[in-house]
Amino acid sequence: MTAVDTDRVAELDRREPLLAAEQVTMRFGGLVAVDSVDFRVYPGEIMGLIGPNGAGKTTFFNCLTGLYLPTSGRVLFDGSVLPPKPRRVVKAGMARTFQNIRLFANMTALENVMVGRYCRTSAGPFTSIIRGPKFRREEAETRARAQALLEFVGLDGTAESLARNLPYGDQRRLEIARALATDPKLLLLDEPTAGMNPQETRQAEELIFKIRDQGLAVVVIEHDMRFIFNLCDRVLCLVQGKALIEGTPHEVQSDPRVIEAYIGKGPETDEAAQTDGHHDEQQEA
Amino acid sequence: MRIPQLVSPEQQQRLHPIGTVLTVVGGLVLLASTFLPWAYSSAALDDMTILGYPSTLQLYAAGFGLGAAVFAFLGRRLARGDGRQVVGWTRGAKTASVAAAVYLVVILGSIGLELGGLVNVVYGGWVALVGALVALVGSRLLVSGRPPRLARRVPPAWLGILSIAAAMAVVLYAAYYGLDQEDAGGFVSFVVVAIGAVAVLFRLGVMRWLSAVSGRHRKVLIFAAFLTAFAFPFTQNGSDENMSIATQVLIFAVTALGLNIVVGLAGLLDLGYIAFLGAGAFTAAILSNSVFSTVDWHPPFIVVVLISGAVSGTLGLIIGTPTLRVSGDYLAIVTLAFGEIFRFGMINLDGTDGPDLTNGSNGIPGVPDLNLFGLDFKDTHTVLGIQLGRFANYYFLLLVLIAVVILIFVRLNNSRIGRGWVAIREDEKAAEAMGVNVFGLKLFAFASGAFLAGVAGSIKAHHDVSVTPDQYIFLESAFLLAAVVLGGMGTVLGVLVGATLLKLMPEKLRFVEEYRLLIFGLLLVVMMRFRPEGLVASKRRQLEFHDDDDELAEKIQSDIDEREATGVVPVGGQA
Repeated sequence: MTAVDTDRVAELDRREPLLAAEQVTMRFGGLVAVDSVDFRVYPGEIMGLIGPNGAGKTTFFNCLTGLYLPTSGRVLFDGSVLPPKPRRVVKAGMARTFQNIRLFANMTALENVMVGRYCRTSAGPFTSIIRGPKFRREEAETRARAQALLEFVGLDGTAESLARNLPYGDQRRLEIARALATDPKLLLLDEPTAGMNPQETRQAEELIFKIRDQGLAVVVIEHDMRFIFNLCDRVLCLVQGKALIEGTPHEVQSDPRVIEAYIGKGPETDEAAQTDGHHDEQQEA
Repeated sequence: MRIPQLVSPEQQQRLHPIGTVLTVVGGLVLLASTFLPWAYSSAALDDMTILGYPSTLQLYAAGFGLGAAVFAFLGRRLARGDGRQVVGWTRGAKTASVAAAVYLVVILGSIGLELGGLVNVVYGGWVALVGALVALVGSRLLVSGRPPRLARRVPPAWLGILSIAAAMAVVLYAAYYGLDQEDAGGFVSFVVVAIGAVAVLFRLGVMRWLSAVSGRHRKVLIFAAFLTAFAFPFTQNGSDENMSIATQVLIFAVTALGLNIVVGLAGLLDLGYIAFLGAGAFTAAILSNSVFSTVDWHPPFIVVVLISGAVSGTLGLIIGTPTLRVSGDYLAIVTLAFGEIFRFGMINLDGTDGPDLTNGSNGIPGVPDLNLFGLDFKDTHTVLGIQLGRFANYYFLLLVLIAVVILIFVRLNNSRIGRGWVAIREDEKAAEAMGVNVFGLKLFAFASGAFLAGVAGSIKAHHDVSVTPDQYIFLESAFLLAAVVLGGMGTVLGVLVGATLLKLMPEKLRFVEEYRLLIFGLLLVVMMRFRPEGLVASKRRQLEFHDDDDELAEKIQSDIDEREATGVVPVGGQA
């Protein structure tokens, strides 16, 4: 399995990165939240971003999505620097979900996804009022696309329910559908399994694989180690704003420094063996 | 709004037969009492002194009594089954009983007030009150059953269309009849009766059925509604009094619809909206042929309408660009201040403090009547032998305008722009992160709302004859906002209803005029407590506020039924 992973990574490395963070540093006053981090995401791979609380994951995430302008270094998406405006970033092809679900609670599931199409449509007020051909074409396309995406994430039965009435797991999936509606090349998921039960987590995992199979790159921030190590092609571990290690899940999880960062110093071999054991169990199951 | 139950649902199950008997008897007693005299003198309300010949007001009571009795009788078997029902007979009986009791208290109270003491109420009145109270107590013992399923019945198309036509005819007649009531007492009792009747129809499930039918025949509904509105002046036969109220209502409603885009869709609280109406009115007045006009250019009215809209829209852009970066309460404060700045600006553009544009606080009087396509608006025209006066002319013009505004509102709402607005209202940050142009859309909502208000203002200037700064005070903005909130944010029908209520009541009821701030304030507080989504809820709002209500309970119950029927027992006891 490890061999396959490395082959895959090696193959990816020869391609142009979709997203490249070069020596990104973010300072807030005296605090260095992110310190010279390099980060590459290639098309069609799932990249994990892990780190203990306060490691600067969210800050780094915000640098990637253009919410913050890095103090130094730069972020290249598809070869160009992103403008620091969320909607331009979306237009460029990067979509995100939120750690604490931020759906449009009082809109239906279908409408939520249709909002995601906003940046890919351009019908103005005039054509909307006279119901011109452009409006009708776009509206039909938007509706069909939104319906298809709901089916894709497995929510086709709930198109007309209000977002706030959906079960928790469905809300997470709806958020992903909404993000996918913006036609992204890269999808950033901020803790997609927070608060989920094991079954829902497994469904989320399948969904993310399905998205990857569509040719999208996915970046996942997560606390759930098992989830990350099952899912990702490569993992970056941030600790205190610094990139501790980047590599395949196997490399990362067996690295003593990662274990130390998470659990603290101890009889290292034991801890490593334990984590490994868990991981294998999961694989077999 | 809930009226508390006297007994628990289990007790209702047992007491249902007794309740049925009491309600039927009470209702019939009330019905019978209307043939008895209620008052000593015919000076109160209408003539209720005659034995064996009910007056109009007594007939209303008879209607409620008969309704309560018949509905309770038809719902007599409800307690035996599982509560499924097509028409909510017992619900209707409950509401009819409450309406009867309230109505009688109002009527007997008015007799007492007008004739000086309750001694003037004759035995018939007391019999009626007893009948109503018996029915009220009896109806409280009835089971409600599940929500009626009438709305799910799909009638043949001809029946649906006929029902819409009949409903519109009733609305037209009610408008004619209600406005025809000269004295406050007659008007108030009519309003109570109308509200009661609508409430009963709601509880029976008829209203929901009607709205489902209208949903299926949307075009017919819209056509019928406009035909009804169009027919209204013909019921007035040249009387200017009610037509003047009707035109004021329309101007108010058009402006409120514009505000509804800003507040109801985009969720921007605008407390200075009246300034845009004022800007349009001043522009139109200055460009009109009034001798007090301060410029020498007097283009035709079609051009003036567009210029007024453009001036207001531009003003919207100017005020919006810096202020729309703040939101919520801050935006409200800024717009409030803007409304005042506008008013003082108009007062000061008088030639001493600034250029002479508006004649200061005197404003621009003598704005001539419109003359469009050879039709002089000050003339009275005779169509089919019915006279249509000056206000009727404005009424028709405003009807065209309101049709256009409704079209714009509905179509923008059902487009990507409308979805963007609602998304912004729901969660601005998330909308931004999903690629919605938040600032641009907010600005567009502000500017388009302002444009529509400006267009309305240009007609208002001619309608009102004179335009002065003190017509455009903060209070008017507050009333516009009240109309939107009261009627139902984000809906067309709701805002029309709200605007009608808020304009009509002070006109028909002088005592409301005096205490209108108090009354509207109370009304808003009561609404926020019992029906926060407004009189007419948009589908979305209804789901938002009453999620946990009947419908959901009904759905869960039917789910459980289905499971039991199919023998599938939910695992883990989650049901």
